[in-house]
Amino acid sequence: MSQNKTKSPIYAKIDKNKQYMKDRVGLDTSFDFGFRELTVLKTKIQLYYVTGLCDGEVVQQIMRQLVQINDDEVNTKKVPEIVENRIIYQQVERTESLDESVDQILSGLIVIFIDGIKYAFIVDVRNYPGRSPEEPDTEHVVRGSRDGFTENIIENTALTRRRIRDARLRHEMLKVGERSKTDICLCYIDDITDRDLIATVKEKLNRIEIDGLTMTDKTLEEFFSGPKWKPYPLVRYTERPDVAATHLMEGHVVLIVDTSPSVIILPTTFFHHIQHAEEYRQTPLVGTIMRISRILAIMMSIFLMPLWLLFVIEPSLLPAELSFIGPKEDGTIPVVIQILLADLGIEFLRMAAIHTPTPLATSMGLIAAVLIGQIAIDVGLFGPEIILYVSISAIGVYVTPSYELGVGNKIIRTILILATALFSIVGFTIGATLYVLYMVHLKSLQTPFLWPFIPFNGRGLAEILFRVPIPYSKKRPSIVHPKNDYRQPKSKA
Amino acid sequence: MENQDKLEQDKQEEPVSLLSRSLVTGFVGGLLGGFFGIVLFYFNFSEVSPKSYLLRSWLTASWIDSWLGTVLSILMIGVISLLTAFIYYVLFKKINSLMMGIAYGIVMWFIVFYIIQPIFPNIPPLMELSANTIVSTVCLYILYGTFIGYSISYDYNDTMYKLRADKERKS
Repeated sequence: MSQNKTKSPIYAKIDKNKQYMKDRVGLDTSFDFGFRELTVLKTKIQLYYVTGLCDGEVVQQIMRQLVQINDDEVNTKKVPEIVENRIIYQQVERTESLDESVDQILSGLIVIFIDGIKYAFIVDVRNYPGRSPEEPDTEHVVRGSRDGFTENIIENTALTRRRIRDARLRHEMLKVGERSKTDICLCYIDDITDRDLIATVKEKLNRIEIDGLTMTDKTLEEFFSGPKWKPYPLVRYTERPDVAATHLMEGHVVLIVDTSPSVIILPTTFFHHIQHAEEYRQTPLVGTIMRISRILAIMMSIFLMPLWLLFVIEPSLLPAELSFIGPKEDGTIPVVIQILLADLGIEFLRMAAIHTPTPLATSMGLIAAVLIGQIAIDVGLFGPEIILYVSISAIGVYVTPSYELGVGNKIIRTILILATALFSIVGFTIGATLYVLYMVHLKSLQTPFLWPFIPFNGRGLAEILFRVPIPYSKKRPSIVHPKNDYRQPKSKA
Repeated sequence: MENQDKLEQDKQEEPVSLLSRSLVTGFVGGLLGGFFGIVLFYFNFSEVSPKSYLLRSWLTASWIDSWLGTVLSILMIGVISLLTAFIYYVLFKKINSLMMGIAYGIVMWFIVFYIIQPIFPNIPPLMELSANTIVSTVCLYILYGTFIGYSISYDYNDTMYKLRADKERKS
């Protein structure tokens, strides 16, 4: 929030307010910002609005009631009280500041000024243009609810409240950004979430001084993660209300940013990024198997390529049973260059796939499959084994439920490949050790990134590896320091 | 009503103390360390393996080469690791730093590979080990030390924090 604004109070004379609006907000210049002047009980009132952001029908209802005051009432001395009584809407507030009125008008609310009175009424008749809740692209489930968050912060908070109807769920609204004044909603459950966590998050939000948050949640994340170049995400994103609600009940804090369907979940660990809603929609056994397969795939996406490269460089490391690993014939291009080129090729494919319009997608798929795969091998650019292992690693990256983690893993894999290529065994072991130590050292808001693996927590790790059936999971994960530990009631003695 | 089976969710939980959690950490750390030690030996990263330390030094039976020897040596490392976890708990649990765990791992490596190495007749002295072995085992011990050290320190500080928060809430 800015401290340099001088708070100008509302003037009693309604024409002075109008002059302020002309000077500061461009009353006669912008076509969508205007006012409607009515005379009620011999007093002028002006109703300011922005076309397109407010709900026209409701505004008409309000104006109809205000005009009817002339027919029904006669007390000209009590105009403000009568007007306040007759505004037909549920959210009406008073304000004495012109700055706040301007902020609210530009957010879509309407403000009613009354001649001779130093306060004004703000009525929340917002109606933002937007889409209806649809299933998010990146978080499909085979069976389960298919609604997702939208760009409208009011709808998003409503979707969350629908799943947690607890009286202690709090939605605190904050504004960040000088020019964008983006609404950010801080959601938490009062008697579960740790107070320090809420205080830290609020303090960080209030300290943000930035022009605008047009790229919404991603920009916000950078304020929480710090200015260094970290490959790993320290917050978790989701577009599903059920995932957000589950995390709220575990004691996390959720940040909903206006104009973005992704909500931020704080704090987070590495293992939060590899869980997916799908596992909870199947039976515990199936969920466990899915989870363990997924962990295997992610480990392979990081370590398979460097390990294979190591065995190619030093075939003496392989025990007798595994001696088939390694290219049969030496190509003209060194293996390392082939691997890096193949990785780069997959990056190109990914970027092309995002930017290609849907009608061209099939032809692009053909190009990828035929060209890169078969013809590159025939020409002699790649060996077939390279393609095999690069594809397995690429699939591992896409198996990762959290897109940001997948990209981070890819960067780490490239670094490990370079270390192995330059320093062989020593490079690989030291590289892998440094990688694990780096992850141990990362912290997301005082939460160690590799919890519950290092630091070790038996129950937490068991809950991650095995999808514990819901009747058995009685305690919340302790890492968020929930105040209220028990999810389910203790037995009656 | 009493004859009805209790629902799973009605069964009581037992509180687990900090010491026993640290010992469990030690045991699991030992199991993981032993497992990766065997993996390092299998892929020829390292010339020595837990098996060569624990079993071949005293016995020369043929069953050592099979799966039984492998599993047994991993379990033995788990048990020994209870001791190392206990030592860390007693001496260092108040130090809440990652470097402490790393240093603990390096010290353990030094003890095993240099100081008590003469006890094991079939392990070559430090100077005769290849660079790969030294680097691989040092890395393994660093990760093992971090696992045990950081877990115990973090657990201790976390428990203290929760006790303080509980006290503040009650007062």
